[in-house]
Amino acid sequence: QQRIEIHKLRDGDNLILGFSIGGGIDQDPSQNPFSEDKTDKGIYVTRVSKGGPAEVAGLRMGDKIMQVNGWDMTMVTHDQARKKLTKKNEDVVRLLVTRKSLENAVRQSMMQH
Amino acid sequence: YRGEEEIQKELCALFPSAAVGETQSSVSAAEDLQTYSEREWKGNTTKSLLIRKGYEAIASEFNLRKVRGDNYCALRAVLFQVLSQSKQLPAWLHDSDISKWPKEMHSDQDFITEWQFPFETSKSKVQHLEQCLELLTNKWQEAVQSKSLEERERMCQQVFRGHDEEYELLEALKFLMLRTAVQLHSDMEKGSDVPEFCWLLFARDSSKCPKTFLTNHLRHVGFSGGLEQVEMCLLGYSLQETIRVVRLYKCDTEEFITYYPNDHKNASPLCLLTEDDRHYNVLFMSFRWFQYLLVLSSVVIILIV
Repeated sequence: QQRIEIHKLRDGDNLILGFSIGGGIDQDPSQNPFSEDKTDKGIYVTRVSKGGPAEVAGLRMGDKIMQVNGWDMTMVTHDQARKKLTKKNEDVVRLLVTRKSLENAVRQSMMQH
Repeated sequence: YRGEEEIQKELCALFPSAAVGETQSSVSAAEDLQTYSEREWKGNTTKSLLIRKGYEAIASEFNLRKVRGDNYCALRAVLFQVLSQSKQLPAWLHDSDISKWPKEMHSDQDFITEWQFPFETSKSKVQHLEQCLELLTNKWQEAVQSKSLEERERMCQQVFRGHDEEYELLEALKFLMLRTAVQLHSDMEKGSDVPEFCWLLFARDSSKCPKTFLTNHLRHVGFSGGLEQVEMCLLGYSLQETIRVVRLYKCDTEEFITYYPNDHKNASPLCLLTEDDRHYNVLFMSFRWFQYLLVLSSVVIILIV
């Protein structure tokens, strides 16, 4: 498990994090390319913007987000997850993530096709 | 990185993803100045009233395009105006291969080792600056060769996405400023005529010569600082352009509209806006104003006929 501290970038009215998430209890977990267990409905990082705050903080594609600022993310909907990350009054988000090596994820995904 | 993007696209083709605070365009779409002013400056403090008065004074002439607010914003605003408004390649760009300039400078003086880039590079600093200048030449050419406003706007949106390309162009502008500073300083030492702002530029204790100008000021632009006003003059002069800035906090003074540099005013200056001399936005001639000019010119034609 890793602790990632993302400092949001202020751009006028917007707070930039620079990544995308997939998953959630309201989503179909079988299509998640990063999870080992295909019934895992957790929140996964699907994309990280190059040079953005998330990349700078060490977040990587394929990371599973376990907590955001102490809030559990293993049993939330896709939208709830997004809302926890994009609170306007929070300049910093502290994530707890677990990470499988990307090569494993790619290899695993290729094996399934 | 492209490899990683392709992998991501392939892996996530069937797995819906939501962007969480993604980077947006570095220059926003045009919006009405009056509406913007009333939204951003509510209240009746002296300052609010002054700023709103400033906005109101120019609201019929221009629209606003917001520029990404990091320490590159002055350079970014100028670059955007250059790429979206330039009618032709300037003489200095047309007559020389500017990508040769970093090597020339490097063989003369040991400046480029002090350069700071906002991104990783596997090339030498000289080589990377060459690449930046070549990119500037290409983009400028592409801009002036656009066949329509839409094409030009599309080209600008491609550049101003916050990716490496945008920053390479901004670093190219910084290099041009350095090269010009070197030339001007040399002229000053020889006793030749130089524009007034040069004296101010090199009068500062922290930048008595081009080397200290670079190490104490220029190489921090985009990182820990923006451009001082005298450096705005240098930027305008380096590009052989005039930068016309509406400075809202100077409303009701003679500095409300300031030209950088102010000794040789171009017929079509690059128009910017600032509330505080720190953050710069772009001013786009308003369509209403354009319509007015169209009507006026039609009337004149009719009268002549």
